[in-house]
Amino acid sequence: MITYEQVIELIYSAIDELNASSDNKAVIKQEDTALYGESSPLDSVDLVNVLLSVEEALEDEFEVELVIANEKALSQKNSPFRTVSTLASYVADEVNSQ
Amino acid sequence: MFIDFFLDVFETHKKQDAIVWNNTIFSYGWLKEKVFSWQQILKETNIQPGTVVMVEADYSPSSIALLLALVENAAIVVPITASVAHKKAEFIDTSEVELVISIKPDDSYKMTHLKTQATHEHIATLRSMNIPGLILFSSGSTGKSKAAVHDVAKLLEKFKVKRHALRAITFLLYDHIGGVNTLLYTLSNGGCVITVSDRQPDTVLATVEKFNVELLPTSPTFINLMLISEAYKRHDISSLKTVTYGTEPMPESVLTRFNSHFPKIKLLQTYGLSEIGILRSKSESSSSLWMKVGGEGFETRITEDNILEVKALSGMLGYMNAPSPYTEDGWFHTGDEVEVKGDYIKVLGRKSEIINVGGQKVYPAEVESVLLQLDFVSEAEVYGMSNALLGNVIACKIRLSESTEGQDKKTLKIEMKKFCKKHLEGYQVPVKFHFDHSEQFSSRFKKQRSL
Repeated sequence: MITYEQVIELIYSAIDELNASSDNKAVIKQEDTALYGESSPLDSVDLVNVLLSVEEALEDEFEVELVIANEKALSQKNSPFRTVSTLASYVADEVNSQ
Repeated sequence: MFIDFFLDVFETHKKQDAIVWNNTIFSYGWLKEKVFSWQQILKETNIQPGTVVMVEADYSPSSIALLLALVENAAIVVPITASVAHKKAEFIDTSEVELVISIKPDDSYKMTHLKTQATHEHIATLRSMNIPGLILFSSGSTGKSKAAVHDVAKLLEKFKVKRHALRAITFLLYDHIGGVNTLLYTLSNGGCVITVSDRQPDTVLATVEKFNVELLPTSPTFINLMLISEAYKRHDISSLKTVTYGTEPMPESVLTRFNSHFPKIKLLQTYGLSEIGILRSKSESSSSLWMKVGGEGFETRITEDNILEVKALSGMLGYMNAPSPYTEDGWFHTGDEVEVKGDYIKVLGRKSEIINVGGQKVYPAEVESVLLQLDFVSEAEVYGMSNALLGNVIACKIRLSESTEGQDKKTLKIEMKKFCKKHLEGYQVPVKFHFDHSEQFSSRFKKQRSL
């Protein structure tokens, strides 16, 4: 089991990592931060980086193996990648239903 | 008949060094006698012209003489080295080997007659013309190795033109087109073939010092290892005039580092393939990846999608285990994507190695080149990893230098990403890092594309 709050923490540290590896980017750590789409400061490669960091942390800290960006995630009616919050809900649901 | 021009050279240079092996020097006079003694053995054992003979060996006085004796006897030679020992059975099967001659480490030999009777059409063609053959296996990064059948009479043609005699290390292996080329070039010009017991930077450079080596034909991977190991600080390599590199794309950063360390050594790129042999090439300069390729017996053209095609007089007859790769008008499609600037070309990489990230092309060599500029990165192999969002994303396998022991991997990862972002486009920056302690080059000192 993993809680929504725990996933949020994982996403925040992924954002920290993204910010650290970039000189000119500072993505704000908020639940309503847009991850992908028009209003998002992230491009697709940044998003992939965040998702892979979260996957790694899930494996390291929770011993859970999950590929976040898969067909299922991409075919959701409402994209789980809209905001930090929607991603956290999606990941928590996926992990808990495993 | 086929090797007369070699024997003439051997006669003229009979007092001079032909081969250095196990710290011992063998003269051309000795080599000529050894070729004759092998011819005698082949005759006594009743080895008929056209026999498919696998020669299991590394460079040695006996294996070099045997190769020439077999050519004279119009045999079809399949050289194989220990580096592909695990594929020996497959190679014997594919190339329809009838006789195996193994040259042992002490240079003695063992013959094993097999029951096979070779019937492949390319072998039949060579036999009908009574011409010697050479079968080389392509490294085949994916799947089965392909057996390329060569007409040796044609292959030898270009060595009849006299060029500089050089003292050269046979770094590229005995069963590799580049190795065969170095060997034949050196012997046909009365140079000296200097063999090495292994291909570690220190062994190779110690040999350069001890035997006044002038030419080192090698690969970008070895050049990189030579720089990383700092072996050049432990050996005097001032005899070295030319280093050639081929077999894989050269990272620009390695080229630059080499030139700054060795401004006096000419660095030349070579271009060749198991299927068509080695073209003559001329680098724009030591610091340039641009080169002219071609030379006598070779024509080149570039397809609309920038792939190099070569028409070679000495090109192989075909594969034994794959359809003919030639176009209808007889050109060989190399699969190498090139950039063109006037008469010069720059090889970008195998089309199949290019990674497509969200529609953008990424050349592994380019990314590797950037990663290698970091002091703490010893080796880097970049590959594509499928990803639902972008099709593929860039991943890399990193061997860290020893100085990083105990350091946090996450910090290093961030540092690598940060550095890559400065020098590359976002989509080129690796998103996945895999740390590996083992060395990444193959026994051919070619970067191993393991993934």
